[in-house]
Amino acid sequence: MRTFPAILVLLCLCVPMAAWSQVNNELITQASHNDTERAEQADPLNSPVWHYLRARFLGESPYQFDDRVVVSVPPFAEDPTQVPLLVDVSAIDEPLLRLVVWADLNPIQHIYSVESADRHLPRIAIRFKVQQATPVRAAVLTESGKWLVGGQYLEAAGGGCTAPSMANASPYWESHLGEIESRSFERAMNSGRSSQRYKVKIIHPMDTGLVSGIPEFYIQQLEVRRPDQAAILSMELSQPVSENPVFTFDMSSASVTAQDRYKLWMRDNNGNVFEQAL
Amino acid sequence: MAIKQAAGRFLGVICCLFWVSTVATASSLSYELTPRLIAKDTWLLQGKLEDFSRDNGANIVNTAFIVTSEGVVVIDSGPSKRYAQAFRSAIASVTDQPVTDVFITHHHPDHFLGNQAFSDVNIWALPTTGRLIAEQGNVFAENMYRLAGDWMRGTEVLMPNKPLEQTAMTIGDHRFRFLSLEGHTGADLAILDETTGTLFAGDLVFYQRALTTPHTPGIDQWLTDLDKLAALEVALIVPGHGPVDAKGKSIEQMRAYLVWLDKTLTQAAFEGLSMNEVMKIPTEPEFADIALTQYEFIRTVFHLYAGYEEAAF
Ligand SMILES: [Zn+2]
Repeated sequence: MRTFPAILVLLCLCVPMAAWSQVNNELITQASHNDTERAEQADPLNSPVWHYLRARFLGESPYQFDDRVVVSVPPFAEDPTQVPLLVDVSAIDEPLLRLVVWADLNPIQHIYSVESADRHLPRIAIRFKVQQATPVRAAVLTESGKWLVGGQYLEAAGGGCTAPSMANASPYWESHLGEIESRSFERAMNSGRSSQRYKVKIIHPMDTGLVSGIPEFYIQQLEVRRPDQAAILSMELSQPVSENPVFTFDMSSASVTAQDRYKLWMRDNNGNVFEQAL
Repeated sequence: MAIKQAAGRFLGVICCLFWVSTVATASSLSYELTPRLIAKDTWLLQGKLEDFSRDNGANIVNTAFIVTSEGVVVIDSGPSKRYAQAFRSAIASVTDQPVTDVFITHHHPDHFLGNQAFSDVNIWALPTTGRLIAEQGNVFAENMYRLAGDWMRGTEVLMPNKPLEQTAMTIGDHRFRFLSLEGHTGADLAILDETTGTLFAGDLVFYQRALTTPHTPGIDQWLTDLDKLAALEVALIVPGHGPVDAKGKSIEQMRAYLVWLDKTLTQAAFEGLSMNEVMKIPTEPEFADIALTQYEFIRTVFHLYAGYEEAAF
């Protein structure tokens, strides 16, 4: 990809500074009227920007931290351009309207949001880019209008010999943009029910726009559609989703019937549309 | 209030960084290198079975030297300028012979960032290793400053000055054979001192310390290289990390782990596992005594799993 890894690493030093000043300005206006009513739950991850981001992503709706919203990230970001992130809300036994996932201290915090037609959110795994150590959050909106929030702290200090791969500097994607590979797998779920896992990879640079001279260029929308074009799953993606994204969705077998032939539909911010039968 | 908290935390981080470096400066950072005779004329400086840190000054690597009749031959220069200066004092403590030649086994920072202390002698490396140091050396050095702090002070990348194209060389009363291999980084030099039967395997061999994979061209390649090393007539193996081995057990351990890795990642990809799920796979009990196995396994999943996934689509 064109976001040269070394540059990304250097960005760790400068980009978050800009993000901080922006955060602080907005906090000044908010802090005053929030302080009184927000004696409720303390953020278990102790993030300095929790209230700011909560207000931004969840609005003023009620929320609570809930262990059933499982955010799984590795203990450290060995490759900050490809950090695996799995969100599992299958332990919540009620209809869910929307899932929002973000990283508190990324310069662009939002990673993705998702809604599903049958209000059952699949287990979703993706990879994303991280600028520095940060809490990673997922929040689901229940039918009763309450957000349930889970999170995990991601260490991004790296280890020895950790310079990211230089292969990313190759212009491979230019002639392969939008090429999709997909495969499905039968999976047994913890509950004993079985599910269908779809794994999809698409060639796309997913440029953030944060590297000077390289405009943002990323997939913004993803839908899993039925043969009649109705979307059973809709995702909004943001710039932190990794280059050449790999998505894994576990759809419960209840929503997957034999005659269904799902189609994957994606659109990037330049208006390119990519489609493939699953 | 939230603002103060945020700003306070941020300042805290900055102050913390300064504090660490001040403390580090105040105490004298000393590597305490004590050479140990492991074969005739052959001395080892064994590193810790740890990851880079501000406690160990990145001294996690094995370096060695051979006192020949015409000068001292050094295998790898170590992780920092300060280390390599201590290295030269350690050499001077056992011989009056001058250092004449340094061989760099590969381009990882703990093996070549001591080059500055050897700027007056031949520094040999495979041509590809030289190219890789030119490309990635500065990024590695920055990373090492971050991980090891003030131990790194004054350390800069110094390029090897002699491309190694020979496959053998006689220095004084020692005859050296060179194997140009690839499994660990794409350019890995193994050095056999035929005079003593000592094999300096570089990071092609780790022993009792989990192997690292950030630049491996693939497990297949690495296994092929191990076959080549196993076929040599050898009395003692000096791994890049971990204790010396006179029985070939280090190569067996490497093989067993690499085969397990390959099988585990292949099967995981075939079953459609996500990276997060693979990282949670426990490593086999037979590898329990190897330092840092679960940690390095997670790193390896980062490095290699996408390739296995790709093959399973
Ligand atoms: Zn190495």
